[in-house]
Amino acid sequence: MLPMLSQLLKQMMKKPFTNLFPAKYAPKNVRGYLKNVQEGKTKIIPPVGIPDEETFRGKIVYDREKCIGCKMCIRVCPAKAIEFKEEEKKIRIYIGRCIFCSQCNDVCPVDALHMSNEFLLADANKASENLIVE
Amino acid sequence: MTGEILLKTVLGGALITLFAIFFGLIFKGIDRKIVARMQMRVGPPIRQPFLDVIKLMNKETVVPENAIKWIYHASAIVCLASSAIILLYIPIAGIEPLLHGHGDIILIIYIFIISALAMVVGGFSSSSPFATVGAQREMITMASYEFPLAVVIIAIAWKLSEEIGGDVFSVYHIAQNPLWNSVGLLGFIGLLILLFAIVVVTPGELAKIPFDVAEAETEIAQGLLVEYSGRNLAMFYIADGVRTFAMASLITALFFPYNISPLLKNYISLGDFAIVTDFLFFLLKVFLIILFSVTLVRAGMARLRITQVVTTYWITITLIALFGLVLLMWDNQLDIPLPWVG
Amino acid sequence: MKYEIPIGPLHPALKEPIMIKCTIEGERIVDVDVIASQNHRGVEWIGMNRNNPVQSIYLAERICGICNFCHPSCLVIAVEEITGIEVPERAQYIRVIQGELERIHSHLLWAGVAAHELGFDSLLHYVWMVREKVMDILELVNGNRVTKSIIMYGGVRRDIKDEHIPKLRKMVEYYREGFNKIAKLFLEDKTIKMRTRNIGILTKEDAMKLATAGPTTRASGVKKDVRQDMPYYAYPDFEVRAVTPDILTGETVGDTYDRIVVRLLEVKQSLEIIEKALDEMPSGDILSEPKIIKIINQVKKSEGEAIGRHEAPRGEDIHYVKLKEGFEYLYAWKVRAPTYINILSWRPMLLDMQIADIPIVAASIDPCLSCTNRVTIVKNGKEKIITGDELHKLSIQKTRRLLR
Ligand code: SF4
Ligand code: SF4
Repeated sequence: MLPMLSQLLKQMMKKPFTNLFPAKYAPKNVRGYLKNVQEGKTKIIPPVGIPDEETFRGKIVYDREKCIGCKMCIRVCPAKAIEFKEEEKKIRIYIGRCIFCSQCNDVCPVDALHMSNEFLLADANKASENLIVE
Repeated sequence: MTGEILLKTVLGGALITLFAIFFGLIFKGIDRKIVARMQMRVGPPIRQPFLDVIKLMNKETVVPENAIKWIYHASAIVCLASSAIILLYIPIAGIEPLLHGHGDIILIIYIFIISALAMVVGGFSSSSPFATVGAQREMITMASYEFPLAVVIIAIAWKLSEEIGGDVFSVYHIAQNPLWNSVGLLGFIGLLILLFAIVVVTPGELAKIPFDVAEAETEIAQGLLVEYSGRNLAMFYIADGVRTFAMASLITALFFPYNISPLLKNYISLGDFAIVTDFLFFLLKVFLIILFSVTLVRAGMARLRITQVVTTYWITITLIALFGLVLLMWDNQLDIPLPWVG
Repeated sequence: MKYEIPIGPLHPALKEPIMIKCTIEGERIVDVDVIASQNHRGVEWIGMNRNNPVQSIYLAERICGICNFCHPSCLVIAVEEITGIEVPERAQYIRVIQGELERIHSHLLWAGVAAHELGFDSLLHYVWMVREKVMDILELVNGNRVTKSIIMYGGVRRDIKDEHIPKLRKMVEYYREGFNKIAKLFLEDKTIKMRTRNIGILTKEDAMKLATAGPTTRASGVKKDVRQDMPYYAYPDFEVRAVTPDILTGETVGDTYDRIVVRLLEVKQSLEIIEKALDEMPSGDILSEPKIIKIINQVKKSEGEAIGRHEAPRGEDIHYVKLKEGFEYLYAWKVRAPTYINILSWRPMLLDMQIADIPIVAASIDPCLSCTNRVTIVKNGKEKIITGDELHKLSIQKTRRLLR
């Protein structure tokens, strides 16, 4: 009649399903917590791993040397996240706008663009160095 | 002399209120943690309700434009105060309650109603259509669970008057003379049935799923409390914890008033720690009652419609409670001894 | 005493930009009005004025986060039909698998939401925990948990690798085993039954009259499914049959309970399709034309119009596309999402029910309004509701202008 009750009692004895990234309870002060992590005082609980490193679409890596400045990636980018630097004939990618579709990777004729496995990209400032690839 | 009594009452009252708030919130935290673990979540830390209250206290208290202001504010205070008062009448760990007297069990039921009514009045005064629906629902729910609750209490009182006599409508008296000791087999079953009935009434009394129609988050957006914020909401929040604690203590007093120290004395000498162990045992009993009548139920069921709440209480549970009453009556006539009591 | 209760656009039961205005007498609902258009996103405008067709795929993907395969899929089907771009067979199979994975995750998501609407949060957490498995598979195959970014004119962008296949099979096995449990938790629970049986009934006649789509219409006994009626992709190989609740319960009532049954059965059906597709998937190319710039040019050169239809988890999704030679963007693009026709069924479902039933009945059609709203009614800061007649007149005028 109430099948959930027995299910609940069973589940009560099990470990929580949640992955406790980055810490069991939200830290009081996020910046302080991150600083502690950097200094090695606290250990961060890692996020769930990436199932397939090859297919994963994370932050873009850009091989400046290979790029020939053909602007094809700019033409297909749906989020208009790529900017062309006229004087150098190279591109600049604003990760803050990127939607990780990897269309630019597919189109690049010289394979200058790749998707990395980095996905922890939160930043307080969308123009920060972290979020601009050039 | 009178001054002394007054002082005792006021001081004791303040102490018991603080005590009630503290344990109300702790049990709320435990309840949330256990529900979380049942759902395989991590859940908030047990002190979370305290943090919630502190946060709410620091927030702005918004009053809706069309609200009747003084009723709107007053009902929060009345709700909290009336919830806290209940504890003055309930024996905790077998200790004589601060206030007690003839017929106080009826009074307790009334105070429960007052705190629910305070919410209803607050809901109506806040002039939101959601709160109005919530208030109507709360009144209907109230009317429906009072009946089986009354049956349970009358059954206990009647049985007590038959077996032992004395001031049968006093909680302290009931707690001192546990009925389990003086009934036969039928009465034992009857008492179990009554216990079941009161356990089902509890989530209704406390507005918890499946009977939380008055607050139904997904239907009427917290209903009664939809307009409340800041300090007022904090008071309702605390009141909810206190009511839960009080209701569980009431069930403990009515059905499980036993202490553990007499049993333990056979093995170890407790000395002054007897009261401490009794108190811890009392908390354990309260915890178990909350676990089975609130936590497990609210995690394992869907919310009912208001009509279903009414039929559940008025027909199903009332019939069950009446059956328990009838069994208690038969017990007097037939008197089948308990098989395990030689 | 009659009074009105607004459900939405800001309401915990319906976190969608739509408003259901219910006139209430006591607890009984005596009148229902649905007011759409609380939000305008201009998706079609961007597709017709700013994005080239390849970019529009990703735009279509973002019409709705949950069905982020069915919208681009419709667009791609339509464009492929106009331009005559061929699709390799393997790609067709992968598209089928993607579509069914999406159905599984969407239906499980809905099951959780429905449980939450009933105040049954434990079930919500349980179902979503189970759903995590398909999300992991999506991440494995597509590289991201939510947006798939898989479809492209002329095929799919990423292959299902050999080492992924055992994991997919394991997922199928996992849900096979879990299916009975979920079905038991949902269908045998007394409180759920009390809240959904005979609540929000949509009769077969009403379902036909209102032209509802997807599980909403199938739960009323209308055997309608694009995969059955007009098979596309590799669906002809699977002989999909529309699922009606009588398969499991033996009768069709058309109530909320039946809509739960249908969705659960569809999850099972999707599992079978995925398994069969994995067995029979041919090898070969996945894209007929890997050079994207060439595709863009080909689309630019084509002319014509077409309709793309796809059986989305919520029902039939339709995109109308018109291309004009030399025009870089889509010349015309019209999205008709399944929820758009399903919301009309709220009225017959809700009349004479109680307030308590609004959330679950509203949720039972699985409304997803992110893809539905399109009419603006604010002009010069003043609100103006355009009636059907006016809209008709306006469109006649517009057609005249276009013809000139
Ligand atoms: S991944 Fe997509 S959105 Fe990001 S830069 Fe490349 S094309 Fe643009
Ligand atoms: S497509 Fe590749 S080569 Fe061309 S501009 Fe972009 S990164 Fe450079």
